[in-house]
Amino acid sequence: MRECRVTEFFSAPPPRQVIVVEGVGVSLGGHSVLENISFTLDEGTFLGVIGPNGAGKTTLVRAILGLIKPDEGSISVMGMSPEELKHELHHIGYMPQQVLFDPLFPVSVYDVVMMGRTCCIGVLRFASRDDREAVMKSIEAVGLKGLEKRPIGELSGGQQKRAFLARALCLETRILILDEPTAGLDIEAQENFMSLLNRLKEELGLSIVFISHDVSVLARFADEIICINRTMHLHGRPEDILGSERLKEAYRCEFDFLAGIGISDRSAD
Amino acid sequence: MRMLAYGFAQRALVGGVLIAILCSMISFFVVVRRLAFVGMGISHAAFGGVAIGLVIGINPILAAGFFCVLVAMGIGWFSRKGYLHEDTVIGILFATAMAFGVLLVSIADVYNLDLMSYLFGSILAMNWVDIIVLAVLGALVTSFLALFFKELLFFSFDEETATASGLPIRFVYYGLLIAIALTIVVSIKLVGIILVSALLVIPGATGVQLSKNYRSVLVISLLTGVVSVVLGLYLSFWYDIPSGATIVLVLFAIFLMAMALSPRRGYIQRLRYKAAE
Repeated sequence: MRECRVTEFFSAPPPRQVIVVEGVGVSLGGHSVLENISFTLDEGTFLGVIGPNGAGKTTLVRAILGLIKPDEGSISVMGMSPEELKHELHHIGYMPQQVLFDPLFPVSVYDVVMMGRTCCIGVLRFASRDDREAVMKSIEAVGLKGLEKRPIGELSGGQQKRAFLARALCLETRILILDEPTAGLDIEAQENFMSLLNRLKEELGLSIVFISHDVSVLARFADEIICINRTMHLHGRPEDILGSERLKEAYRCEFDFLAGIGISDRSAD
Repeated sequence: MRMLAYGFAQRALVGGVLIAILCSMISFFVVVRRLAFVGMGISHAAFGGVAIGLVIGINPILAAGFFCVLVAMGIGWFSRKGYLHEDTVIGILFATAMAFGVLLVSIADVYNLDLMSYLFGSILAMNWVDIIVLAVLGALVTSFLALFFKELLFFSFDEETATASGLPIRFVYYGLLIAIALTIVVSIKLVGIILVSALLVIPGATGVQLSKNYRSVLVISLLTGVVSVVLGLYLSFWYDIPSGATIVLVLFAIFLMAMALSPRRGYIQRLRYKAAE
């Protein structure tokens, strides 16, 4: 059932692997949610994760973040186990599926981004000048300068997502883990978000794990894609896998979401 | 000022201001984290604790303290385990604890005026021991809130990301519940079990009406709490009316004014728009 096509790399020195997932299985409440998941993420790579609802994508992210302990297999992030990682979390920026916040919550954009630095400020301490500078830099990087004093609830959906991206970036972030960050945005806002992300990836050399249902977005921006539905179905470059029969198999339905997105090889038809 | 010539009034005023400060700070989190029903649940559960204390003859406030912390932990434990929703657990626990209290009281036949003062508070109830207990517990709760303020704020705003950032979220959550329980217990004597939830909700709600910045929300919350308690106690003293009820009504009046002045939806704002048109 499982097929892992390993991407060919350039002949240059092999890039550092920032995330290594080996044979990971997770059960929640007696049900197996993930089985035998293996992949690696190289530094500076944009990895798209696709799969149907309930495929275990979010569980995978939670396991990588160390919020869930896998029943089998191992995960290493920047050479550390999730337990060790807990003390080194300032290298990982995480943006959850939906930030379920109260729009009346009395915090500004600046306050929200500062929350991202909570773990590196440390318990019992106040924000230093470095913290404040990092927050402003991060706000600037996502193009929200001038809006930092606005209450978060008064921003548009797209601006809110960018504020949460800034929060994920305001540490010494090397890896960004984004769980359906563009869900609920209109096409223009989605486009803006993705080109911003792409620019930040190039400028900062970020490695990105990007969960999405939107195959057309991943086809354009991802360097590699894995498709999971409880177990791994595919791993490869977007152009290799997005038209394949196996993707249909993973989703267990006929679908035609590749129409009109500029992927010439549509072997699925 | 003649009020201060009386010892009981002095104690009520000192205790009242301490309670106001404590409740107003907790109130900020109760409002932004939407724990109003948790506050209600814990305060009503205190009745069970008071009844145990009255029946077995230990200090009812002490008994209520243990009981409330237990109920708070129970609410936290059940809802964190995901077996039940927070509000469901509270709905179950608070009625059960009150029923338990009523039963105990009727069996032991201690239904008296004393019990009424626990339910609705009394200006006469504060003694210096209460105030010392209040000061000590207040210092404890205040230092918890101050030391973990940014963790509490992050947790209240977005629990999932806060957890993913490796913050001690479980500690912060249970800490906040226990802080709410202790605040309720020390406030019971003055405002009573039934009315204490107003002090836990209205100051923060007033703050949120008037500002969108958490720093000023906190300041407004504190001012609202202190002004209401002091004014409520004066009125209660001069007109010989129940202190708890007076404080709550003053709180509500201030809240109404804040709503009218609120930049969010205020009448003044609307009038200004009209004038601009």
